[in-house]
Amino acid sequence: MIHRRDFLKLAAALSAAFGINGLPEPVMAALKKIDPAAVPKIIYLQGLSCTGCSISLLQAESPSPLSLITDYSQLAFHADLSAISGKKAFDLVEKFISGQAGPYFLAVEGAIPEKMPEACVIGSKTFAQLLEEAAKTMSGAIAVGACACDGGIPAAEGNLTGAIGVKEFYQKRGIKKLVVNIRGCSVHPDWVWHTIIHLVKVGVPELINDSPKIFYSRKVHELCPRYHDFQQEIFAKKLGDKGCLFKLGCLGPDTYADCPTRWWNGGRTWCIDSNAPCIGCASPHFARKKNIPFYRLSESTK
Amino acid sequence: MKIDLGPVTRIEGHLNVRTTVENGVVVDAQCMSEMFRGFEVLLQGRNPLDAQQITQRICGVCPYAHAIASSRAQENAYKLQVPANGRILHNLIEGANHLYDYLLQFYQLSALDFVDVTAILQYKGKDAELLKVRQWVQAELSRGKAFPAAPFLPRLSGKYIANADINIGAIKHYLDAMEIQKKANQAAAIFGGKFPHSTAIFPGGCTQDVRIDLIAAYQALIGEVKEFITSKYIPDVLAVAAAFPEYWKIGASKGGFLSHGLLPLSPAPNSKHLFAAGVMFDGQVSAVDPKQITQDILHSKYSSPSGLKIQDSTLTPSPHKEGAYSWSKAPRYGGRMLEVGPAARVLIDYHQGNNPVLKEMVNKFAGVAKISPKELNSVLGRHLCRAIQASIIADFLLDETERLEHGAPAMGNIVIPRSGEGIGMTEASRGALLHYIRIENYKIAKYECVVPTTWNASPRDDKGQPGAMESALIGTRVANPEEQIESLRIVHSFDPCIACAVH
Repeated sequence: MIHRRDFLKLAAALSAAFGINGLPEPVMAALKKIDPAAVPKIIYLQGLSCTGCSISLLQAESPSPLSLITDYSQLAFHADLSAISGKKAFDLVEKFISGQAGPYFLAVEGAIPEKMPEACVIGSKTFAQLLEEAAKTMSGAIAVGACACDGGIPAAEGNLTGAIGVKEFYQKRGIKKLVVNIRGCSVHPDWVWHTIIHLVKVGVPELINDSPKIFYSRKVHELCPRYHDFQQEIFAKKLGDKGCLFKLGCLGPDTYADCPTRWWNGGRTWCIDSNAPCIGCASPHFARKKNIPFYRLSESTK
Repeated sequence: MKIDLGPVTRIEGHLNVRTTVENGVVVDAQCMSEMFRGFEVLLQGRNPLDAQQITQRICGVCPYAHAIASSRAQENAYKLQVPANGRILHNLIEGANHLYDYLLQFYQLSALDFVDVTAILQYKGKDAELLKVRQWVQAELSRGKAFPAAPFLPRLSGKYIANADINIGAIKHYLDAMEIQKKANQAAAIFGGKFPHSTAIFPGGCTQDVRIDLIAAYQALIGEVKEFITSKYIPDVLAVAAAFPEYWKIGASKGGFLSHGLLPLSPAPNSKHLFAAGVMFDGQVSAVDPKQITQDILHSKYSSPSGLKIQDSTLTPSPHKEGAYSWSKAPRYGGRMLEVGPAARVLIDYHQGNNPVLKEMVNKFAGVAKISPKELNSVLGRHLCRAIQASIIADFLLDETERLEHGAPAMGNIVIPRSGEGIGMTEASRGALLHYIRIENYKIAKYECVVPTTWNASPRDDKGQPGAMESALIGTRVANPEEQIESLRIVHSFDPCIACAVH
């Protein structure tokens, strides 16, 4: 829960960044058309990542991905889409990060290899260096996906790089900047884009554990259409069965996300509807421990 | 003069290419993969069934290929019987993933190397979407802000397509492709649970039901994708080829080819594939023997021993190692360098006469372009091979849906043994993918992945042989050594994925 005072402070900071006046009046602002000259510019950088979140962002339905990167934001740099390449691309990023190209929001996909900075290099700098420098000039950061939020799979037990998320990286350096965490491996496109739309039209959405409450306030288990099966103790006994998937290891009871009501890929499907247990990909503890496997096949036969 | 082409954009991940240019010709190239996570180490000690989930996170562009390779390695290790429905669902998921990936690769990742996006300013037609884009670009340019119309501008200097109609058509299809790729992914997600990173794929099949309503939705989506492939994608590849015919002769790799075979025709482990497996050197194809694969690390940032076979592989990072310039290892087949990917798949299948439709399409398009099939080893060849395969895969997937048995099981019964080992092979969109698993005391004792871009973006091996992409770059004439759009076109034709290459 974010306090009103903090919200106003953030809103003021954001309104300066976006050039949207009168932000504290959310309803008014929401009714306003977006000023195309003032849509937030986004510098999208990738660290220890798989690009899955970027690919997921391209699966947005309404608005379309194109509208989202032109009408609602301007994707000033993204390694997967930018026409420019090489030194000129790096110079563009540096222009923003050095504060010479105006206000911008940093979107980060991927973890930071804190103990092995050479494990992620962009142009002439390490990813860690770029993040440190950006902290001085950015309006705030959006951590896109499990890796950027909490380290994700690169931070799983036994990793060699000391991978951590953006928030922890900044905390360790005493840097206090707004970091909005959008968890998920990968993120659902709505979780990111609707947060950006919210930022543009209303201001910072209400946060819970640094994540927008509208997407992450309730557990998958609570919202699950198979909750009734759970109550009636109708459990799937083997993979592919119907019923509550809890005894196959479903991590819905430990995971805050609105997948059961939002569904994925244009609303066609989601894990549990395809009889696949939730693996907790939106949890900060996703895949972290070796002794907590995704599935418990023996459990169901006991 | 040494010129770094990194950070290379419109690829997956962190790639630099260090070139040496003399008299306008690239005389040396080093592919430098610049991101390391250490998946094989992370997997040790985990439950084997975590593997098809964890390894999908190697790459969010082709996660399904990793899920399939891992599932097959586990099926092998568990001695698991896969029901026919299970294998077909694997195919429906993996095949749809290929379709989206080819469209993304051609339109979003490569088209801006050829198409003049500024042509939109001259657009005088009535298409609402194009008018909106024109207005947006005009407004952006008039505002005097830093970097207007990003990410589509600025761009590299070079020769682009001159014909306004072709440019406008391509821009429209760039936008259309953004919508169509979603349909391919939705189709895959119907049985995969979601995309990216499927949760419904398992060793032995898929947890999703084989229901007629799901099948019908899948068919409709793939049908739309197929229509786009036939009416837009293939003509656009041919239009680029007509505007840049010199690229049939640019970007040939100088080694062999490898394919693990794509889309098995039956659940049997030794099944034939829609696109045949094989390894090809000097025009001769032979069966793939995984024991011939070793990985050198002299120029890779590891201190572990070099030249090890797959099952012996180890991983000790050494970021400051003298003479090492890439986080990618250098895989070799019988000590020789080779290319994997769309051209390898087509050439290996073509030479074995495996798929008659493929042979017919290659002959037809080679005739149109006035090239010989071996010139498919080129920038345009790789693009055309993807388009040919897209067409064949889409038809195959629609046929596969008819072979599904409604209501029959799609999952084998998984029993994880105390110990065992297995190899799983498939073709990711970018080429030959191999996973190896060894299980001891019910846990993963060893996991090893040899991934398409590990082959293609490989650094020099211990004998000094360049990797496939390095060899394709060396000898390229470049107009502007500082930017080298020509080199970039070569790199893009391989569709490198660095998250995959290093993992």
